[in-house]
Amino acid sequence: MANTSTKQVQIIYGDATLGLRGNGFGYIFSYERGGMESLVQHGKEWLYRVPKPTFWRATTDNDRGNGFSVKSATWLGTDMFLKCTDIAVAVNDKPIALPISPENNKYSDHEFADHVTITFTYETLTTPATTVTAAYTVNGKGDIQVNVDYHGKAGLPELPALGLRFVMPTPAVCFRYDGLSGETYPDRMAGGVKGTYTVDGMPVTKYLVPQECGMHMQSKQVTVTRNRTQDNTDHSSHVFNLTFAQNDRPFAFSCLPYTAEEIENATHIEELPAPRRTVLTVFGAVRGVGGIDSWGADVEQQYHISAEQDHSFSFVIQGA
Amino acid sequence: MKPELSWLDDPETFRVNQLPVHSDHHFYQSETDLNAGQSQFAQSLDGTWQFKFAKQPKERPIGFYAPDYDRSDFDTITVPEHIEIAGYGRLKYINTTYPWEGKDYRRPAYALGKDQKGEGMFSNGEDNYVGAYLKTFELNPKLRNKRVVVQFDGVEQAMYLWLNGQFVGYAEDSFSQSEFDLTPYLKDGENLIAVEVFKRSTAAFIEDQDMFRFSGIFRSVRLVGEPAIHVQDMRIIGNLADDYTTGDFSLKLKLNRQSNAKGSVQIGITDDDGQSLFDTQKPVNDDIEINHQTFPNVHLWQHTDPYLYQLKITVLDEQGQVVEIVPYQFGFRRVEMKNKIMLLNGKRIILNGVNRHEWNAKSGRVISVADMKQDLKTFEENNINAVRTCHYPDRDEWYYLCDQAGVYMMAENNLESHGTWQKMGAVEPSYNVPGSLPEWREAVVDRARSNFERFKNHTAILFWSLGNEAYAGDDIAAMNAFYKDHDNTRLVHYEGVCRNRVYEDRISDMESMMYDPPKEIAKYLDNDPKKPFVDCEFMHDMGNSLGGMSSYNDLIDKYPMYQGGFIWDFIDQAIEVKDEVTGQPVLRYGGDFDDRHSDYEFSGDGLLFADRTPKPALQEVKYYYGKHIN
Repeated sequence: MANTSTKQVQIIYGDATLGLRGNGFGYIFSYERGGMESLVQHGKEWLYRVPKPTFWRATTDNDRGNGFSVKSATWLGTDMFLKCTDIAVAVNDKPIALPISPENNKYSDHEFADHVTITFTYETLTTPATTVTAAYTVNGKGDIQVNVDYHGKAGLPELPALGLRFVMPTPAVCFRYDGLSGETYPDRMAGGVKGTYTVDGMPVTKYLVPQECGMHMQSKQVTVTRNRTQDNTDHSSHVFNLTFAQNDRPFAFSCLPYTAEEIENATHIEELPAPRRTVLTVFGAVRGVGGIDSWGADVEQQYHISAEQDHSFSFVIQGA
Repeated sequence: MKPELSWLDDPETFRVNQLPVHSDHHFYQSETDLNAGQSQFAQSLDGTWQFKFAKQPKERPIGFYAPDYDRSDFDTITVPEHIEIAGYGRLKYINTTYPWEGKDYRRPAYALGKDQKGEGMFSNGEDNYVGAYLKTFELNPKLRNKRVVVQFDGVEQAMYLWLNGQFVGYAEDSFSQSEFDLTPYLKDGENLIAVEVFKRSTAAFIEDQDMFRFSGIFRSVRLVGEPAIHVQDMRIIGNLADDYTTGDFSLKLKLNRQSNAKGSVQIGITDDDGQSLFDTQKPVNDDIEINHQTFPNVHLWQHTDPYLYQLKITVLDEQGQVVEIVPYQFGFRRVEMKNKIMLLNGKRIILNGVNRHEWNAKSGRVISVADMKQDLKTFEENNINAVRTCHYPDRDEWYYLCDQAGVYMMAENNLESHGTWQKMGAVEPSYNVPGSLPEWREAVVDRARSNFERFKNHTAILFWSLGNEAYAGDDIAAMNAFYKDHDNTRLVHYEGVCRNRVYEDRISDMESMMYDPPKEIAKYLDNDPKKPFVDCEFMHDMGNSLGGMSSYNDLIDKYPMYQGGFIWDFIDQAIEVKDEVTGQPVLRYGGDFDDRHSDYEFSGDGLLFADRTPKPALQEVKYYYGKHIN
């Protein structure tokens, strides 16, 4: 069949990045930053900094009471300072040598593929260390299938969370999701009613001490809506969207203006900074919040996340 | 009688010249007043009072109650209002330890020996601040030439009362109404009422609830004129016969009469449609009784159908003129223990309950009827069928509203002393009060009596509760005995006996635990237990902490003797202030007022935020509580 570039993704073999382009989209993956640096659809940038796996949740009152944050504190450092140790590229599922200079001199300004996969390997700062990979597979429509694989390691304390965190340059106007009503957790979702919900802004649940909040379990899809960019030539205030959809299984997510660390550091909600970003985290594993009391009782065993076992999750960022 | 400051130090002095507690019925002069809900026999003293704050007893304005005292330097305060919310005293939150932790060394009088009397402990307490309150009033015409009493619905924590310079009486027990006879001291024209409120007294040891620590006159104050023949107290029992369909009604009235006044008393009962079911007339007497009057096929009262009948007592004088009308709504229902299961109207009770502090973010424990109604709306929307009045009696209106809404009440008297036996999480009762100390017994039995006598006619109350976290000893056993001696139509609850099981046959009809894991509860229920099980507190909802309710729900289905519980708790305790930086209203918790030692955000364990907006977890509660609506 004829090579129709409209159904294929164009590859830009850059010296510092891998660019993938198509109708209405342009993505850049940075070798230097160790992740996806730019996600543009219809001219609008969706990334502020490269997405990275996330391991921490802002300590809940019960976490504090039962000492969980102390036991699992190692994950806080990893959440903040994770390092990328390896990058691999595959074109139409065939691995290629990392196409940095001079390797990339063999390519042209007219390179296309059915799909391209770039996989980033991150090493945790825990003792012992382990690895997590985030693989992005992009097709000609601009769909990005994301696969995250965490490799369990004996001796590691339980995980507070496991997800992939996207920080977007400006705050969301709203987000719309297909899942359960309200804020839900693995041990608190029986009362959630299935439906499609639109949440204005990115409300931070006003617990007296800011803590883990805003989780949406069992979601099939979430669409984030923004109306501003940081592009100095862009004066539009028309809304634009990006949709994250389930791949094989529903996922959990939260959409908040802050990272777990920002929330962790506040003792009152008014201490949190003015919302400037969107922090959309897709979770592959969520620890329960419940406890019998707030001074020692642990979350029920089935709602723990073992760091000694492997965890994988997958979702799709829909194309333009 | 001369008032003594030393009463503050003496656990055996807790009421001086107070009138005996009686039922909370209202009385009206006419049908018109009754229909309007406005009694002309009552005169509110709420509003602005003159006020002087003193940091400690020795700085207080001695003699301020005298009519000729120079009060030109007095400020004003609102009644009802906490002295701390008004800005005089510092806001403070603490859970277990006493509010003087790290600042003063105190041990309860007699707890460590008969010679340890604690003299001066509070009367000279450097942290015992004092509010001097004054107000002038003229009696409304309808109150003149009557016996006039004054009612204080809530004063924290000890009060001395004067009228026109003369000492009237003294009261403790912050959450029970204190009533005094003013008749001997009243004058024509302007009268001067003066109240001296102390933040601390020996009551501090038994009012150690996990809450913001306030002081002052925080509930309404009113004068009440009693007509020449007056229903002083009434006891209504709307029980059921063994067939669960025949109503078994009894009534006891105690009348106060001026100079043996004569007349008659009409007693009528109507149903919800106004149909008369019962009507009788009896001559006025000191005591009037109706015993075991039966009503076939009564409409039962229960959560899903809180049907109330209207009792109306009309007191007439010898000429047949109406002297007073006393209305009271009551339901027919039967609470009992059968085969170690608690039943209502013959059916197993399942408590889908909450613990509820009285709370308003702007005014603390000064709450409005609108707040109460909103809380009941939240109950209804979320399948909450029961409330524990933790850990003190609430405002009267709440009990009436629960009767109407069909909310099962665990009516708790004012008692908590966990600071005397729970030290940094460990059970260490070396100086526990009340324990088995005779010097503390009457103070706590009086609290049981106040709770019972005032609220005994409320259909919604299925359980009396002896208080919270006060350990167990002879004194709490005496409270249990008080309720048992006075009321065989309800069951008694107390959790603390589980900390001292020597008393388990003398205290509490139910095995009540707090925060017991589901597995432990199952273990109890699997081993031929003596009593049915209730979680007086569970699902501690501090911050984002509610989860795992299914494990408790499973127990309901598996064990008939598991009868549900009360989530801790209904609403966060936090105080709205203006943010220093942004000027926006924000909610503050323990430690935010430089108050130390503190338990900080432990004040926020509610299903609602302090501003009454729901926490996300509420939908989970609604779901599980909706599985066993009864």
